[in-house]
Amino acid sequence: MANPYLVVENLTKVYERGQVVALRDLSFSVEKGEFLVVIGLSGSGKSTLLRCINRLVEPTKGKIYLDGVDVTRLSSARMRRVRRRIGMIFQQFNLIDRSTAIGNVLTGRLGYTPAWRALLGWFSKADRDRALANLERVGLRDKAYVRADQLSGGQRQRVGIARALMQEPELLLADEPVSALDPATSHSVMQYLEQMNREDGVTVLASLHFLSLARRYGTRIIALKDGQLVFDGPPGAIDDTRFKEIYGEEAEEVEVR
Amino acid sequence: MTGYPDGFLTDPPSLSWPVVRDALARRAGIAGRHLAIVFLDVVGLAILWLLVTYIYAWYGLGSIAYTLVPWWAFVLGVVEGAALWESFGRSLGQRFAHRELSGASGVPTGGQRVLYFIGWHLTVLPLVGLFFDPPWHERLSGLRLGPPVERGEAPRPWYRTSSGLFLAALLLATAVAAVGVTITTTNLRRLFTEAGRTAKFWRAFFSPDTTILAASGRDLVVTIYMAVMATAFAVVVAVPLSFLAARNLMRGPVGRLVYTVLRGAMSIVRSIEPIVWAIIFLIWVTVVRAPFAGVLALWVHSIADLVKLYAERLEAIDPGPIEAITATGAGRLAVLRYAVIPQIVNPYISFTLYRWDINIRMATVVGVVGGGGIGQRLYHYLTGNLWQQAGTVMLLIVILVWAIDYLSSRLRAKLA
Repeated sequence: MANPYLVVENLTKVYERGQVVALRDLSFSVEKGEFLVVIGLSGSGKSTLLRCINRLVEPTKGKIYLDGVDVTRLSSARMRRVRRRIGMIFQQFNLIDRSTAIGNVLTGRLGYTPAWRALLGWFSKADRDRALANLERVGLRDKAYVRADQLSGGQRQRVGIARALMQEPELLLADEPVSALDPATSHSVMQYLEQMNREDGVTVLASLHFLSLARRYGTRIIALKDGQLVFDGPPGAIDDTRFKEIYGEEAEEVEVR
Repeated sequence: MTGYPDGFLTDPPSLSWPVVRDALARRAGIAGRHLAIVFLDVVGLAILWLLVTYIYAWYGLGSIAYTLVPWWAFVLGVVEGAALWESFGRSLGQRFAHRELSGASGVPTGGQRVLYFIGWHLTVLPLVGLFFDPPWHERLSGLRLGPPVERGEAPRPWYRTSSGLFLAALLLATAVAAVGVTITTTNLRRLFTEAGRTAKFWRAFFSPDTTILAASGRDLVVTIYMAVMATAFAVVVAVPLSFLAARNLMRGPVGRLVYTVLRGAMSIVRSIEPIVWAIIFLIWVTVVRAPFAGVLALWVHSIADLVKLYAERLEAIDPGPIEAITATGAGRLAVLRYAVIPQIVNPYISFTLYRWDINIRMATVVGVVGGGGIGQRLYHYLTGNLWQQAGTVMLLIVILVWAIDYLSSRLRAKLA
């Protein structure tokens, strides 16, 4: 039996300023092809957890094995090679506003492009074709040469997805991908993630605010509270008692349909 | 039960001497307190008035005067001032006597205050009304001058209230102005009365000497080039330095040290005016190469200024794209190229244009100490009392500065 695809062991993150403990001794593992949803209140450590996996945030303690390699010990050069295989999309999309949609999508290839070509902005013909194909896939082929700041929120997030697709990722980290979007757009974005998961076999780790979205798209759910794991199981297992444990006594469940 | 109020059927209080005496004493006490308050307010306002008018007359008009108005206007102003102060605020006297106006339901309304103000004239001026309990103006308005009412929350100290702060600011401004007027020997009257003496200049200024236009034009070109050179070379140095002077890019102990040293050095360089730099460089590169000294002076000052402007812009960039590009596996330079540079290009160009605009103006000033260009020519004419020629040169400078100002603001608006 092979090891799980992603293993997080005793992960702890303490932010130096103010000694804030974001993650406490967190351990779990993810199999290849899972759609794992991370839920929890704001400030429970969801974003930090996702960022520790591709080391946008340096973990304080603990290990993270990706395909059997401990990424917490990699040199920065080797970490970059690992990051190429990990796509990431963000709550605020984090596009380059002044660049076109295709310009943003092409940055997804930067990990595979030699530095001098990257600096001059000379992406290969193959990459350009791939960028157009990925924009086609997220339904934005006609917006390819529109500046990113001219796009709507849903369109911007789809550009973000196309950028992640350029990396041909094995793992996709989605940090509250739909929190800044309206319910209808949220579903369209989530469906692209689901499609990546099912058709391309990309393992997805998504943090979500709405439990209804988590139930609908996740194959498994973990819940964080104050940086600790309070739930790990199938979506159906979160009943009212569990819900109150995770979100506190006063919480009411809000549905997104 | 008789149907009468309690005590109605009992004997009325007999009008014995002690009762009368106590009643008189109480009323005298009320009247006395009111009068003491009015007295304090009137005297306080009078002193304030005299101080202000005396200072104004001495420094503004250069004469000695106490009230500046007829005596009756002074008295009227002071008395009405006191009435307004007591009715609509907490006056000096009320504060001293530890009294405050309050209505039956707490804080007085505007209407009650107006009634109090009107009643004040009926009561305080003829004095009679004061010997009633309560006095007439208090009956009329339904307000009472009593000890301060205990409210739920502690009263805010004066420095937390807007009126208190306003008063403090007013007093401070008055004091600063009074001191300032003294030490800079301000005399406003001379400013207006002696303007005729300069008529000769203005006439000369507005009758340009066209024979020097060609030579001045050459100097103007020198000045423009001084600004262009200084700005261009400053950009070359300031752009790389700005990355080292941005707090968010300089992490770790070494980074923090570089940041601190660089920012400190830049603020020292910036605090020395270009005119002083010009003198330093004139000595350095010899007076013969005056425009070069001017360029160096502007260059040094521009570097310091641009590093600060650029670095502050860098510190304000959105960290999101940096995360996103880093997450794709891009190297450091690629992150800089794709996440940082797009966010700063336009502001950098805009700051550079702005600085170029400043440098054009500074180039003429630097010229005055011998830094070459049109400024030096202007200085030459001014010291030689050649007003007509000086006027011509100034006209040229005005046209140049206006044109550059317009051009640079149009360009910057395009970039925004």
